[in-house]
Order: sequence, then C-alpha cells, then structure tokens
Amino acid sequence: MLFQLRDVTKRYKQVTALRGLTVSMPEGAIGLLGPNGAGKTTMIRTLLGLISINAGEGEVLGMDIRRKRLDIRQATGFVPEDECLFPGMSGIEFVGYAGELSGMRPRDAMQRAHEVLDYVGLIEARYRKADTYSTGMKQRLKLASALVHDPRLLILDEPTNGMDPKGREELLAMARDLAQAKGMSLLFSSHLLPDVEAVCDHIMVMGGGQLLASGRIDDLKRHEGRQLMVRTKTGQNEFAQALKARGLEVEPKDDGLLVSLLDGDGPEYLWRLASETGVQIRSLLPRRSTLEEVFLSALAGAGQSPTPGSPTAGAA
Amino acid sequence: MPVFDQGYQHWKGTLSGHAGRWLAIARQGIKAQLRNRRTKYLVIAAWTPALILAGFLALWGLFEQKADVLKPFMDVIKTILPLEIFEGPRTFRSSLWTLAFDAFLWIETGLALILVLLVGPDLISQDLRYNAIPLYLSRPLLRFQYFLGKLGVIVGFLSMVTVVPAFIAYVVGITFSLDWSVVQDTWRVLVGSVVYGLVVAISCGLIMLAFSSLSRNSRAVAMLWVALWLISGVIAGALVDSTRNRFDDPATAGKESERWWALSFGANLNRIREAALNTPEAYRQVVSAFQSAAAQAAEMAQGQMAGRNRGPFGLPFGPRNRPPATPPPPAHPMEPPQMFASRINPPFPWTWSAGILGGLSLLSVLVLSNRIKSLDRLR
Repeated sequence: MLFQLRDVTKRYKQVTALRGLTVSMPEGAIGLLGPNGAGKTTMIRTLLGLISINAGEGEVLGMDIRRKRLDIRQATGFVPEDECLFPGMSGIEFVGYAGELSGMRPRDAMQRAHEVLDYVGLIEARYRKADTYSTGMKQRLKLASALVHDPRLLILDEPTNGMDPKGREELLAMARDLAQAKGMSLLFSSHLLPDVEAVCDHIMVMGGGQLLASGRIDDLKRHEGRQLMVRTKTGQNEFAQALKARGLEVEPKDDGLLVSLLDGDGPEYLWRLASETGVQIRSLLPRRSTLEEVFLSALAGAGQSPTPGSPTAGAA
Repeated sequence: MPVFDQGYQHWKGTLSGHAGRWLAIARQGIKAQLRNRRTKYLVIAAWTPALILAGFLALWGLFEQKADVLKPFMDVIKTILPLEIFEGPRTFRSSLWTLAFDAFLWIETGLALILVLLVGPDLISQDLRYNAIPLYLSRPLLRFQYFLGKLGVIVGFLSMVTVVPAFIAYVVGITFSLDWSVVQDTWRVLVGSVVYGLVVAISCGLIMLAFSSLSRNSRAVAMLWVALWLISGVIAGALVDSTRNRFDDPATAGKESERWWALSFGANLNRIREAALNTPEAYRQVVSAFQSAAAQAAEMAQGQMAGRNRGPFGLPFGPRNRPPATPPPPAHPMEPPQMFASRINPPFPWTWSAGILGGLSLLSVLVLSNRIKSLDRLR
C-alpha cells in the first residue's frame, strides 16, 4: 500500500481542510484531482508529515504519519507548485545541496546531481545560476532535486504549470517512465486531466476535505451501455441518416458516430441495419466516459460544482 | 538523442542520520559566503592580531626562560618592565597571558561584528526572497535544524576569527614556554577565550538571524545590525556623559554614570569577556606592579638627584643639574590610575551583561520562531 489515511481531520482555526478523510491507495501512479480548496495541498502536507493532524491516523509507505515524519520525507521526493529556489546556486549546486539535505555525502550528492540533471535534460545548463533558468527549466530542476536521493514516492504538485507544450510532453514522459519503467510511485496533483491521464493509473478525487472518488482510471471510466461508438469503412454519412430515420440519436464524434440505442435494442441492431444499408462497420465499441466526466460526476455526487482552477480537459 | 542514454538510475548509496543534517546547511552557507572577496579578506585580516598574540606569547615564553636569543634585548626589557616582573616573570604569567588574550579578543570582537555584517544579512532574508523555506522543510529536516544550520554559518565564521586563532596562539605560547606548568597557570585563559568566543558567536548569530528573518531586503537587515551595534553604543555614551554631572562626588558620579554602558551591545560583550578571562584581577596585579615600580623609581630619583643627580627613574640620561623635583605622591594601591579604574572595578556586574545578551538571544529565538513558520498553515 502506498498510503492510507483513516478519519483524518485537519483544522486551521475556523477552516476545516480535511474532514475525516479516509483513503487507501496502492503503489503506482496516483492522480490527485479536486477543485480549489478541496484539501489537496493539506493532504500532501499530511502525507509528508509537515503538519499535525487534529484527528485520525495513517501510514505512508508503511510509516506512521505522526511518528515517522522524517523517515517519510526521507523516502519521498516533493516537487512543490510554487516557484522556490535555493538562492545563489548553479543548477548542479542546487541539486547537490538537495541531496546533502537528504543525508547524502557531498561527493555522492554531486555525482548523483550530474546523473539526475542529465535525466531531466538540464545537463548543458547545469553550471548556470538557477535563478536565470526559464520556468520550464526551474520545474525540471525541482524535479531533479526531488529525485536526487532516489525516493520511493515522488509527489508532484502541478508539475507542468508554466511549461511550453514540448517541455510539458517531456516532463510527462519522464513521469511516466519513472512510474512505469523504474518502479517509482507517484502522487501527481494537476489541474490538467490529460496530464493525469497520461501518467497515472489510479486517481483520487477530493472535494470539501473528503474523498469523493478513487480507483483505477480504467475502472472509473465506465462503459456507457446505451451508447456505442461506430466507425464504418465507407458511407458513414448514409449510415448516420439511416440511423436517424429509425429514431436513434446520432452524433458525429472524432472520426466516428456516437449512437444512443433505443430501449430494448442491442448492438446487434446496428449490425443488422448496416447489413441492410450496405455499410461495412469497421469498429463498434461501447463508449467509455472520459476522465472529465468521472471528475464532474464525482463532484456532482457530492453536491459540489467545479470552481475556477478546477481540473479541466484543456491542454497547457 | 545521445548515443549513450542511461535514463534514470536508482541510487544505492548510504545516507547519514537525521541529526547531522544541519551541517549541510552550515557548510553550504560558509562556502557561499567565502565566495565574497570582502569576507575572505576580512577573515585573513582578522588573523593578523592572532599572529601578534602568538608572537607575544612566544616571546614571553622565551623571556621566562631568559633565552639566549633575548640576551641582547634584556637591558631594554629591564627598563620597560618593573623589576618585580623582570625578576619573577612566572608570577605574572597568568596575568600577562590574560591581558594579551583580552587585547586580542577585544580587537577580534570589532572585526567579528563587521564579519557578521557581511555574512549574516543574506542568511534567511535571501531564503525568504527566493521562497526557499518550503524546499528546506519538505526535506527530512526539522525547523530547528534549519535554524541551527544558519546559526552554524555565523558561529563558523566567528570561530574562525576568535576561538580558532586563540587556540592556536595558546598552543604556540605553550610550545615556546617549554614548561608544562604554564598549562596549569593559564588554562583559564583558554577556557575563557573559548567561552567568550561562543558567547559572541551565539548571541550575535541569533540576533543577526532574527534580523535576517524580518526582511527580504538584505540591506535593511544590515542597517538593523549597524543600528544595534553603533547606535546602542552612541546612546549609552551620551547617557554616561549626561549623567556624570548629577553627582557631587566625582568618584560616585563616574561609577554611577558608567553603568549606562550596559545599554551598549559592544560594552556588554566586553563585560562578558572581562568576566570570562577575569581581567580585573590581571589588571590589578600588573598595574600594581607598575605602580610600585613607579613609586620606587620616584623615591630613588629623589635620593639620587640629591646625590649623583641622575636622570628620571635613576636612568643615566635625561636632564641633569636641575633643582630636585618635588616627588609625586605615592599612589595608593587601592587607587589605580583613572584609565585602568573601570578595568579593575567594572561599573556593573557581568551578570547584567549576561542577562541582557541572554534576553536579546531569547527574543531573537522568538522572532525567528514567529517569522519562519512551519508549513502547518493555510497557504
């Protein structure tokens, strides 16, 4: 188990950031979604042992969040959302220093800093002052400093913020590589659902300091039994007309047709109709809901509505 | 695409324990500050008094042994030193070592305050400016260790110019004395120097860190430090002068008014140094020896002028064939010359200074704790 929290409550004076949060997530890449004020940052800080909770208990990587705070941080790498730098250092010094703060010997830290800067694509710029880096480079630098001590869990808070599309793609590819090929667990908090979908295999949706939904993305994106995605080899428009003429709802989607079946009809109805109209069906699949729908449905189920800054399907 | 792309590799080295993490901060801070040329030059310059101290202790060791190398200078030394010291230097060993270290540490304190001015302002203010605190606190590091690391930078630099050179000079002094009894006589000087060095480093360090946490602007922090150091001294001096005329008895006036020095940051450090080294006792012994020598010289001069009409202090030079001068009244052993009066009888107890410096340090800790909060808060 990557982490589990049981009945965790955290209050800041009048504000209750976490309300009896209970969640259990397996190792792997976890996407953390939720509107602003959902308690995502407080949950991340709870996992890192940076805050004292008012009630509840939990473990991260099998370590108690109250008693093993430093050990948890030792086993964790954190890429914060805000722009933050160790002042006056070059890239290589920055990462080496982060390694030393994690307990690496100076020589080990410096050697490792070269390796991880190479991995994140900053090897050429490693002797430049970090405060002269672009936003994207600073994000990569923060990732390198979070990786320097080879954590078991990497927490990324809005890692693609401010990055250009190419840089974003590269960073997502790195996150995917770490999670899928290198066996590192990820907690990936992002407003960009395509980013989460590109990297994670599990998600947890938070709202109002509680868990609204969690599970494997593939499982959550459920089959919409009454809707089918149809792609034909030829005559797609004629086929759409034929379907409409028989009272079915048809909507062009991507390069196919999204067909809503009538009650009592099954997929075989479409096969029969295709045969009658002389259209060759290339694929016929039940439609699956998107991550955005999963997210919105989770919020709707909790009586919440997305706020500005909530996860969206838009790309950076 | 590189020809040889390793990709991400796991790391299999060993990590140190949590307790020593602050050392990384201190080490990095010292390394960063030593890149500043002015800091480097000041540290080097601060070693000059240490060389002089070591030289003095070495010479004193040779003088105690009446080493051959000093023979050509013995006559000159004899005219400078009172006979009591010249003939029994070991009796005065502890006092002269104390005064030498006192003078050394007095100079180093001034340099240390400048060094703190160069090294300290950036320590926390820059972290605030660059929002580095979350980076530190999300590592396996406690807030206390962060402060300790930053304090370690100042303590490191101040030790470089106080404790370390004092220790080396002490070792040099012992080496040249060729007498192990010197350790027995002077260990207190070394302990006092180390204690004083740590008091300066910790009190200055905590105060500077507190200042540094108050602003993101390092220049503003530097100005606060200068204000504490210089303005407190100026205010204390002004109060001493203005209250001196309130008392009819000049002796009481001096003593009472000089208590205002307790408001001066520098004077409090000096008072702690006097207590740590026990300089009043050393001054008393040495000044008393010089006073006795002066009185004897005056008596001899009076007798000899009546007879052989030699120069002052019985020396075979100086104005001759003049009418005998009125001998100076013999100095009372309890009344030292005015310039040493406050050294022998400090105007206020050292506990006042300890209380003031302790209070400032405690206040600094509270400021630090309040300004550099943990991440246990809403954004």
